[in-house]
Amino acid sequence: MSERELKLRGLRDERPRNLFTRWSLAAFAALVAYSWNSGEFHASQVFSQQHAANALRFLTEITPYPLHGRAFDPGIALKWALELWKAHAMEALAATLALSLAAIVAAGLAALPMSLTAARNLAGPEPFIDSPRAPGWAARTIAAVVIGLTRSVLIFVRAIPEYVWAFLFIGIWGFGPWPAVLALALHNSGILGKLGAESIENLERGAPTALRGIGAPRSSVAMAGVLPAVMPRFLLYFFYRWETCVREATVLGMLGGVSLGSLIRDARAANFYDEMIFYVMTAALLVLAGDLLSGLARGCLRRGN
Amino acid sequence: MKKRRKNREQETGKDSEAGRTTLRSTMGPAESSAMDEQSGKSHAGRQTRPGLQPLLSPRRLVLLMISAAGLWAYLYLGIGPGDLLPGTGQAKALTGFFSRALSPALDYESGFVARDAAPLLLNALDAARRTVVFAAAAMSLALVAGVVLGFAGSKSWRDLQGRMAGGASRHLRIRSSGFYVAVRMLITMMRSVHELIWAVLFLAALGLSNLSAVIAIAIPYAGTLAKVFSEMIDETPRDAARALSEAGASGGQVFAFGLLPRAIPDMSAYTLYRFECALRSSAVVGFFGPETLGKFIKLSWNENHYGEVWTYLYALFLLIVVVDWWSGALRKRFAA
Repeated sequence: MSERELKLRGLRDERPRNLFTRWSLAAFAALVAYSWNSGEFHASQVFSQQHAANALRFLTEITPYPLHGRAFDPGIALKWALELWKAHAMEALAATLALSLAAIVAAGLAALPMSLTAARNLAGPEPFIDSPRAPGWAARTIAAVVIGLTRSVLIFVRAIPEYVWAFLFIGIWGFGPWPAVLALALHNSGILGKLGAESIENLERGAPTALRGIGAPRSSVAMAGVLPAVMPRFLLYFFYRWETCVREATVLGMLGGVSLGSLIRDARAANFYDEMIFYVMTAALLVLAGDLLSGLARGCLRRGN
Repeated sequence: MKKRRKNREQETGKDSEAGRTTLRSTMGPAESSAMDEQSGKSHAGRQTRPGLQPLLSPRRLVLLMISAAGLWAYLYLGIGPGDLLPGTGQAKALTGFFSRALSPALDYESGFVARDAAPLLLNALDAARRTVVFAAAAMSLALVAGVVLGFAGSKSWRDLQGRMAGGASRHLRIRSSGFYVAVRMLITMMRSVHELIWAVLFLAALGLSNLSAVIAIAIPYAGTLAKVFSEMIDETPRDAARALSEAGASGGQVFAFGLLPRAIPDMSAYTLYRFECALRSSAVVGFFGPETLGKFIKLSWNENHYGEVWTYLYALFLLIVVVDWWSGALRKRFAA
């Protein structure tokens, strides 16, 4: 074996390896293999002559109906689109936007205090600075309960998808904006709270430690040392979650209620596939606009820091 | 504002500084305040007074806009906290549901169950298994498409192709930019439509089956993965890639050995996070027919079997907790 090969082999042996990572990869691959072999999926569920015929029929039905049986005329198509826009889409679009905004603001307001009580460094028995005496069992227990409780609530509300929350809340409060707003706010406060707590735990310790060192109570450390420092991060996450809120808000209407989803559902139920596609495209444009706006805001925040 | 700044500069003396005001006035408030700090350091004792900082920092402006937008939203929707006070029927559902939060059902709540039905807990387990199966299948499709599209839609790939073409052929360079734009548009289109809307589209076009539900989830997930992957690839340092390219490696080699290895930890961490999301999506897709957790949540709720609803909710919760723990543990190892 040449010297070069030996060296290469040596380098190869020295490369960082991790058993857990490897097992994870293998487990994931096994999971995927099992999924495809679980008997739930057959190619015939999508690829068959019947399906091809259905798809073809669908494709002919999504052209605007005034255009059926004649050559494509952009004037007629535009008139049709404008009428739909004025009659339904505009209002549903505004409602969808309002849902997402109402929800994300509520989520942010709820998540901010929860991220404070979920952060192990701030809510721990000795925030940021060790006292000469070890904390008593009471202080330790209270801190553990507060942190544990907040974290369990956060993970539970974010484990349940918006759509399920909305379904349950519609069952309780009936149709209207509140179930959708509550559902979006609940799920997203779980995510924002988790991300906020992580950011607090990763903060530089300087300012809060100094505050604590001159005897500031926990509340003052939180208000003066932690919140201002974590705010830029939190706002970045806020806008990132708002994007998903817009996405989800378009869909929640399918349960009934006010957003674009209800138009899509109704158009499908009536077999007006041309209108359905129009609303789907409106929803996609709204999502796109939300992404752009949120990107702008995040850029503005990044430059501000 | 401009004038005040100018005055301030002149108060502090030094002609050389006054010359900078023109430069400053063209900059945003954030940059200029950063410069204030710098000049404060270099000319100790001549620090600018804090009271003269611009009233609206970008952050305050953003906060103000958020408040205004939130206010508009509540006014537009015409909802207030008063609407949440439950009427009698609502109170019954509300207490009925939440009172079972800590006592999920361990067996069916009604005697009318098909004779061959599995016990509730086994049924929940099976629904949870199917939720995982749908999520893993969707994720595997999304991952393949996301990696391919993510690479094809990254700026690094475009520049690489452009550079390979060299200055000689403008035609080739235009073609690689055209390809880039087309891929980006495809990615955007895929992810701007929510997975449930894809599901409804499939429902209308093909009829919803297990496989089409999985594809419906996979399409937007592939788009999102592709977008994030392309950003991650573009953010990895290019030194190794450049060295390889200069040593004569082909485009594919540069990508596979120069860029990919550095991007993989971030990409896998993000993939696991999306797997967590896929679990939720696959549960929800059950509302449209497939027998994942969502379907049983819907059925039990419609029968007012609140305890059973909680059983299925907790099953979903446990799935998410496991994946959350797994991805957290992996990320810690990547960071180390």
